Amino acid sequence: MSFWFWHGLRKGVQSTRYPARAENTPGVSPGRPVNTDFSSAEEARRAAAICPTDAIIAHGKSTYINHGKCVHCQLCLRSLPSPMNWEPGYEWTRLPSNRAESLPLPSAFAKSMHIMVVDAGDCGACLRELKQLNNPLYNMHRLGFFLTATPRAADLLLVVGPVSENMRGPLLKTWEAMPTSRKVMAVGACAISGGVFGKSFMCACGVSSVLPVDFEVPGNPPPPLAILHGLLVVAGRKSVGPVQESPKGDTAPWR
Amino acid sequence: MAASSSPIAGDSTVVMIDLIAALEERFGSEIAKGLANSGFVITISLSRPQVLPALCKFLFWERGCQFGGIIAEEQSTLWEMHYAFLMADLGWINVELSVPLETTTLPSIVKDVHAADWHEREIEDLFGIRFENHPRLGDFVLHDQIWHEGIDPMRKGFSASRPQLERKEDLEWQPLLVVEDPGSFAMPVGPVYEGGIGESLHFLLETVGEDVIRAVPRLFYNYRAVEKVAEGRTLGNALLLAERFAATSAFAHSLAFCLAVEKIAAVDVPPRAMALRVLLAELERLRHHAGAITAICDSTALSVSSAQASIIEENLLRASCAFTGHRYLFGLNTPGGLSCDFGSVQCKALLVAVDKAESDLRILEKRLRLSSSFLDRLEDVGVVTGESARDLNLVGPIGRASAQHCDLRKACPYSGYGRYAFEAPSETEGDGYARLRVLFSEAAQSAILIHQVLESLKEGPVRAFFEVSHAGAALGWVEAPRGAALHWLRVNENGVVERYRAITPSFNNWLGFHVAAEDFAFQDFPIILATFGLSATECDR
Amino acid sequence: MAIIAGLSLGAIFVVCAGGVLFSAVLGRKHIPAVLAIAGAFSAILMALTSAAVLLAHQAFEVGLWILDGFGRFTIHLDPLSSIFLFASGVVYFSISLFVGSFLRNQGDDAHPTLHFSILYFALMAAVVLILVAGDTVLFLISWECMSILCFLLINYDPRGQSDKSAGYIMLAMSEAGFLAVAVAFLLLARSAADLSFASLRSASGSLSPQALWLTFLLGFFGFGVKAGLVPVNFWLPRSYTAAPPVFVPVFAGITLNLGFYGILRLNADLMHAGFGTGLLALITGSVTALVGILYATTDGDMKTMLAHSSIENAGIIVAAVGAFLVFRALDQPVAAALAVSAALYHMANHSVYKTLLFEGAGHVEAATDTRDMDRLGGLARVLPGLSAIFLVGCLAISAVPPFNGFVSEWMTLQALLRSAILASTSVRIVFALCGAALALTAALAVTCFVKVYAMNFLGIRRGTWEPQARTQAMSKFPLAILAVVCLLLGILPTYVLPILSESVEPLAGASVTTALVQPFFTATPQNAQLPAAFLQDFHNLGAQTGKGFVPGRGLVVLLRGLEANPVVFAMSPSYSVVALALLLVVTWFVVTRLTKRRTLARRPLWAGGIPRLLPLMTYTGTGFSNPVRVVFQAIFRPNITEDTRQTVAVHFRTAIHRQREETHVVDRLLLKPIGAAVQWLAAFLAGMHHGRLNAYIAYVLAFLLLVLFFYRGG
Repeated sequence: MSFWFWHGLRKGVQSTRYPARAENTPGVSPGRPVNTDFSSAEEARRAAAICPTDAIIAHGKSTYINHGKCVHCQLCLRSLPSPMNWEPGYEWTRLPSNRAESLPLPSAFAKSMHIMVVDAGDCGACLRELKQLNNPLYNMHRLGFFLTATPRAADLLLVVGPVSENMRGPLLKTWEAMPTSRKVMAVGACAISGGVFGKSFMCACGVSSVLPVDFEVPGNPPPPLAILHGLLVVAGRKSVGPVQESPKGDTAPWR
Repeated sequence: MAASSSPIAGDSTVVMIDLIAALEERFGSEIAKGLANSGFVITISLSRPQVLPALCKFLFWERGCQFGGIIAEEQSTLWEMHYAFLMADLGWINVELSVPLETTTLPSIVKDVHAADWHEREIEDLFGIRFENHPRLGDFVLHDQIWHEGIDPMRKGFSASRPQLERKEDLEWQPLLVVEDPGSFAMPVGPVYEGGIGESLHFLLETVGEDVIRAVPRLFYNYRAVEKVAEGRTLGNALLLAERFAATSAFAHSLAFCLAVEKIAAVDVPPRAMALRVLLAELERLRHHAGAITAICDSTALSVSSAQASIIEENLLRASCAFTGHRYLFGLNTPGGLSCDFGSVQCKALLVAVDKAESDLRILEKRLRLSSSFLDRLEDVGVVTGESARDLNLVGPIGRASAQHCDLRKACPYSGYGRYAFEAPSETEGDGYARLRVLFSEAAQSAILIHQVLESLKEGPVRAFFEVSHAGAALGWVEAPRGAALHWLRVNENGVVERYRAITPSFNNWLGFHVAAEDFAFQDFPIILATFGLSATECDR
Repeated sequence: MAIIAGLSLGAIFVVCAGGVLFSAVLGRKHIPAVLAIAGAFSAILMALTSAAVLLAHQAFEVGLWILDGFGRFTIHLDPLSSIFLFASGVVYFSISLFVGSFLRNQGDDAHPTLHFSILYFALMAAVVLILVAGDTVLFLISWECMSILCFLLINYDPRGQSDKSAGYIMLAMSEAGFLAVAVAFLLLARSAADLSFASLRSASGSLSPQALWLTFLLGFFGFGVKAGLVPVNFWLPRSYTAAPPVFVPVFAGITLNLGFYGILRLNADLMHAGFGTGLLALITGSVTALVGILYATTDGDMKTMLAHSSIENAGIIVAAVGAFLVFRALDQPVAAALAVSAALYHMANHSVYKTLLFEGAGHVEAATDTRDMDRLGGLARVLPGLSAIFLVGCLAISAVPPFNGFVSEWMTLQALLRSAILASTSVRIVFALCGAALALTAALAVTCFVKVYAMNFLGIRRGTWEPQARTQAMSKFPLAILAVVCLLLGILPTYVLPILSESVEPLAGASVTTALVQPFFTATPQNAQLPAAFLQDFHNLGAQTGKGFVPGRGLVVLLRGLEANPVVFAMSPSYSVVALALLLVVTWFVVTRLTKRRTLARRPLWAGGIPRLLPLMTYTGTGFSNPVRVVFQAIFRPNITEDTRQTVAVHFRTAIHRQREETHVVDRLLLKPIGAAVQWLAAFLAGMHHGRLNAYIAYVLAFLLLVLFFYRGG
């Protein structure tokens, strides 16, 4: 005889209070580099040069980060004499660079949203983090987010991975099988920009080359709370983070 | 070669002399024996391809070698094929075959070494070399319903960035089915997973209803051509790929890659870095096994246990992040050591978290052992006999649950594993429960290793800085959480990757999955899948 | 009325003869039309004859000529015969039209010959003669004619391709059954004045219980062969499968009923055996039903499956007859009347929907050239009309309201539940077990016909067949009539039951209509038998709503019990159908209202992202019924032979082929041992004939000694 029910009760409530309150337990998010002002233009250029995915752009003494490309290699933190600034936090959801705005789902879905997850060539990290959303610590069910097995009942298509050629067809089929009120969210740097895999005969550079993307959650992988923030944004219960300052004359890619 | 990672130890000289004598007697002038290089203890070069099957049979069946994998390389004028075998008490043996580039057919070794099946299929699909007498070539990495025959993307002439042609799926494509019972049909599962979150892979469960007779996975939906894309990249850039193609064992794969680079450059890694690498590799194993246990609990629908296991996993992820700055240990390995050092306060905090996880896992295991409904669903489910495990070269916890004792940390230690006292637990039943027990015991061993590392940790640098200034190739190996992983790397004198080949444990084990998934009740399918704990993306690369 | 009955009965035989004559005169091309017209006409006459008898509440009897040594041939048409004759008339009407339209669309070379026409009409006449025979000799002669004609029709095959063995097995079993029946009648006739049924009836009272048991057993065996009872039904699936599609409906809808007729006539009418015989019939019926449905559910051939399903229904009917015999012997006339009404109702229902299904199967076979349910699929798109009609048949046979199967199966189970009024616990236990078996049967029947409909008509086409144009031309009218009859019998049981009740009253000694609450049948609110408050309650429930209809019967069937338990059961398929229709209309209305402003998008089937759902990825009939096969492994005892092909090694298997061989449980447990015993005996006897003279002399000597020993006393 086992007493799982009792063991479960004894653990008490473990869930985070997010979004009601911020979650600050160490390790919930790796943080990310942010726009940094260096003391010289040379340092800014070095910072830009060290980035393997060209996520850092130097503009004078300042560097700007395109988080959609950042793969968290942490070179700009560890291999520079003067490192980039690093910020904690996880509310990273943003709009795709080609979108001025994306509407969230209609309010009827705000507290009951069904999510269809498609792995389009993911390395496993984003999927693993999505799985964590189901664990008692994050417990996305309490917020009314549910995973669904069929695209027919799904409101949100959540895509991870850079879209491998063999998954392009199934991904499109899933999208076509969904009701037209669907939203598409690209999760992870790979799904946004192709990440380390880049553009090749086997990889499309992210989901936006295949489908219209409504929201993006950068990170490699984005921690569970970042994905949760994304879901809240799609449900219209959180807004997209503030638009970052960008170099003069160019606004789009740094949003 | 770094002395510390040399596999030669103990009575290896005796084994070596014995092997050489036997080879001499059996094959004589057909073969040439070379010296140790590139991580191999001995290289056996063949004069003509026809000897290959006999030699592989000799090594695999008569000498009890473990099959590592096949590495195909296109050199300027010839094909260079490396057949890696692991011999106990000796190390990696390289059976090398060089044939002119015009050659289109090679003898197949699958008749004797079944484990080479998928390796040969992959090479046929990606390089266009046919293997004589291989029973099932074709549709593998490049799915036949979208890719035409005649495309060999791994050939040097094929540009990885070649613009994609608009492809149309062939709707008339028919899968190959094996079951011919009257009234049989194939229940499709995937590739878009129909049960929440899952990797992309496809099964046709061949059945006549109720009981599934056979389930063979169709993989490579996640194929991102990592090996092709890595060609022409700098080492640092290629390392990103090695780290990120399979994130749940990212540290292990990046470590194997770095070990290969360090072998090529003949660099000694500082002792502190070696110790910390062991620490991080074991942390990753602990976290991976907690995740695998979660999946097994989940598959049996015992939700409280799965919730508790997932809390352990998440706590380890948080501890990893607090310790290293990344939840999946990205960006730590670098050729020559580690990219950062850890202070003693951090280490203590990690130790607390690991101890907590270890004791939580022990409690969980005890409770699971007492849950008869849980055990009923695991016992005698997805049985892999020791014989098939050996036959198909199953590695890692799955192999060890079927009485295969090979653990690279012990068989040919790397990164200073030889210094630590630990066990490689194994079971003999080969069923789902045996696999679960192996996972639990390995997790406990990982915690022991972490303790040992932190107790004996000496101060010192964590990185040796160097540049690769000469061309070379080397094999790096690790015991990744899912089993043995081999990374073969060839760089040119500018430090640019010429050929990268990752042989992953999932690739090996998916090959043997169908043995476990034979004649089972349909509702056991998720359980068999979970107890195998395989990763499609690690297999697909 | 008697004159109408007599005239139309005579006219049946005239029309049959006319049909043969016209077939001969008009030539081969017109035979389908003759079959349809003459057949339908005589079927109408059958219905007319029986209706005349039923409405007149009086049997029609006429004596024919006297045959030396056998007594007078008598025609005797009582209400019991009339029920069977009426059912045969309805079914023959549909079958004749079906035969005509089927044969007309088969192409010229397949046109039937005069030979077929003669056989068809002769069988029709023989069937009528069996049902109206009033004496043993006429009954046995027409029974024998019927058996031989059936055999000839099964083997009727103008192209001479089919396997004849099924027909011979059937003939052998029929002859064995005939002998048993003949002996049973002779046993009854031992003490009777002559061979007419009336004399037998009056003489049966003087028979000893042992003689009654023997008569029962012989008759039960003989008629059980025709009725398809376990264990003497092994001929049935074989011959149904082998019979040409135009002829199977006759088998299932007409000749099967003759078996029940025989059992009822012998046991219910001619003699009163003890309750033990009833229990035997009940148990046999339940086992038959269960075995029948198990094999029906797992069989992959449409015709064989329907044949097994006929066995199942035969089991239900015989179980109800058994319950009747027990109730009557234990002096419970009301329950007995209920049981036998249920049996007759189910008999009529089964002939209607089984004929419909066999005709549908004929259509399907003609359209696709296959009966293999693993290869069919998606027929609803090719044959939408047939699909709808076939669905009615499937719903009816699965006992789904508002169709007829529901009413009779429900009444059968209710009758079995009436065993609560019996005193003996052991009898009650037998009833309970048989009731459970029948309930399981009913559940499996649903599985079975979900499979039949889903695998044949829904989904996507699995085989390589192409729909044949000639089938589209075939008329669906004969099937549609039966579908309507299914519905009518299902929603208007209150109109059917009184007729049945009247015909079984002489057998059971009580009327169901008096037991079923009066006001709902006779529409008289003032009924002295019932308490006023009780009447008022049910009046308020609307139980007399049918009063306004012609001829004004209530629409609720309700069995009245004792004071403590006034209502034993009540049902109203008529109300159910109204409620269902209303619900459908409301749902449709609500859905259309709610979705009025939405655009409806049709997307391809979602199949997990694979390029296309291939036919090989959809459930087959075998796959659908495999759970039943697995659960009832102990009964099926399959012998699985595996034939696996591999290249190189087990890992590289290229084919796994498991052939599953099943020996029918009856064959395995009964025929095989008997066959083995006979062979052993033959081998033993053959061993004695080795040609040595001295051994033969020794045999003679031994025999002589034996004879002397027995007669030693003189």
